[in-house]
Amino acid sequence: MAGDKSGARTNTWMFLLILWKSLKVRRSRVFITFFSIMIGAAIITALSSIYFDISTKMSRELRAYGANFFIGQKDSSGSRIAEAREIEDALAMVPQDKVIGASPYLYGVVRLDLGNAVLAGVDFAGLRRLSPYWQVEGRWIVVDFDDASCMVGKTLAKNMELKVGSQVTVIRNETGFQRKLTVKGIVETGQAEDEQIFVNLALAGRILGQEGKVNHVMASIVTEGTDIDGLASRMQNRFPGLDVKPIRKVSYSEGRILEKIKGLMALIAFIVLTVTTLCVMTTLIAVVSERTREIGLMKAIGADDRGIVLQFLTEILVIGFAGVLAGMAMGFVLAQILGKAVFGSAISFRFAVLPVTLIPSVCASLLAAALPVRMAVRIVPAQVLKEE
Amino acid sequence: MEKIVLETKDLTKRFGSVTSLNRVNMQVGRGEWVSIMGPSGSGKTTILNILSCLDIPTEGQYILDGVDASALTERERVVVRREKIGLIFQQFHLIPYLSALENVMLAQYYHSTIDKWDATEALERVRMGHRIAHLPSQLSGGEQQRVCIARALINEPAIILADEPTGNLDEANEKIVLDIFRELREEGRTIVLVTHNPEMAEFSDRVVRLHHGRVEKEGVGHETKCV
Repeated sequence: MAGDKSGARTNTWMFLLILWKSLKVRRSRVFITFFSIMIGAAIITALSSIYFDISTKMSRELRAYGANFFIGQKDSSGSRIAEAREIEDALAMVPQDKVIGASPYLYGVVRLDLGNAVLAGVDFAGLRRLSPYWQVEGRWIVVDFDDASCMVGKTLAKNMELKVGSQVTVIRNETGFQRKLTVKGIVETGQAEDEQIFVNLALAGRILGQEGKVNHVMASIVTEGTDIDGLASRMQNRFPGLDVKPIRKVSYSEGRILEKIKGLMALIAFIVLTVTTLCVMTTLIAVVSERTREIGLMKAIGADDRGIVLQFLTEILVIGFAGVLAGMAMGFVLAQILGKAVFGSAISFRFAVLPVTLIPSVCASLLAAALPVRMAVRIVPAQVLKEE
Repeated sequence: MEKIVLETKDLTKRFGSVTSLNRVNMQVGRGEWVSIMGPSGSGKTTILNILSCLDIPTEGQYILDGVDASALTERERVVVRREKIGLIFQQFHLIPYLSALENVMLAQYYHSTIDKWDATEALERVRMGHRIAHLPSQLSGGEQQRVCIARALINEPAIILADEPTGNLDEANEKIVLDIFRELREEGRTIVLVTHNPEMAEFSDRVVRLHHGRVEKEGVGHETKCV
């Protein structure tokens, strides 16, 4: 028994010796095969790293276009004002990790020192996440209970001759509410907000005499992995008095862009794998042609087909694994470069990239080896050994 | 004749319309040295390929150690080659990236288990003990042929089949190889040798002369020069 084990060990040593020396003697061919597999694996690693990270990155990019979900009072109810609590309850149905930002809005007309303006009560923290594209001169209001500050749209600020740090008196004729506020920031959105004045929701409620009320909530929800329509439908069923709708323009285009980009990446990965497979196959066919006599000799002195297949597959697997490992390292670096160039941020490492790169690359290597191995097995020693 | 180790019965081999061997009948006894001679195209290499189980006959039978080798499958023929036959080639056919010792061990590897000491001993026996670590490219033709012989002998095969073993050698190396064959015969090895060299055939027990795929004549070794 000990003899058997020792024999197996020495034969394993011989197998590894043949493997090592046959790889060493064909350094250039081995390098071409290794390089082909490495480049293929690098591109697949880079693409799959971006693929798995793109949802977050693209969502972040597309979030710059604003909210994609609306919850408000139904028009048919006769009132455009809803209970803040009810809308908050509806919004709570969205998983917290899917909400990028959300803000309630309460609108009303107020009188300022130099004329009337639309006052909007908002949640500044949510609004900032919801509208990261707003250009703000000065600062955002960051404290919920700040009822001495406001932000003013750029057009309104110009018309009312307001600057950052200016004082403005807000008056609501119907309630007789009057408060002097400091302009913390002047916002430029290119839209209707440029003509509005923004205060905390609670303060707006007091100014407008609508405490605990809101007109609507705008939210930005991650579309990747979220059934937006299903969510809206469930919310609508539970709160029939509310008008719940995705803002299709953004959420749909986000999904479609993502799908198209991912499809394109999968196509590129497939093409790269195909080219790699062909390149490796061509090299291996050349290797088998070079080794015809050697294989014939091995068969003549007792190697069976299994031994020949084992020898060749082990060689290609060794080169393949080395190429894939090097390619994965290179691909991750490439992903970082692409991430910086396209999204301005690094691409996170994800374990899902390992099998996505390793399995197709090794399969491609084995597929590439299939024809050359078949050629090797079909070598007839009597024919090849008699050739001069 | 000693017990028959190898026998052909109406052995015929055709390649398309060309008949390379035509109803060849031959017997080789245990411990016998038989030389096969004949002009180019007479079927010498073809018969050696069949005897070494590298090829199969189109018709007829090849009985090796009592077994009909012509009816064996490819897998079974591999086992026969591995277990019973030692092959010596005119072109030596050594693996270029393995040393002399490793080339000999390769035959052990496919046969059973490698043994460095046995392989070294086999090389010493063919006067190559001092060159075991050399690659084939670092050896002369005669030295490569001696490594090839050591590889053929390492698994103690029942039959040694050699195809023009001195065909590519100079006179000095030819003599060394011839001496090794004579030693093998003295040890009682069965040898079938294809050769053009009458001096080599002279030492064999029997010479089979082929012509156009047929046995033209058989005679004892020392009659070679006059056949």
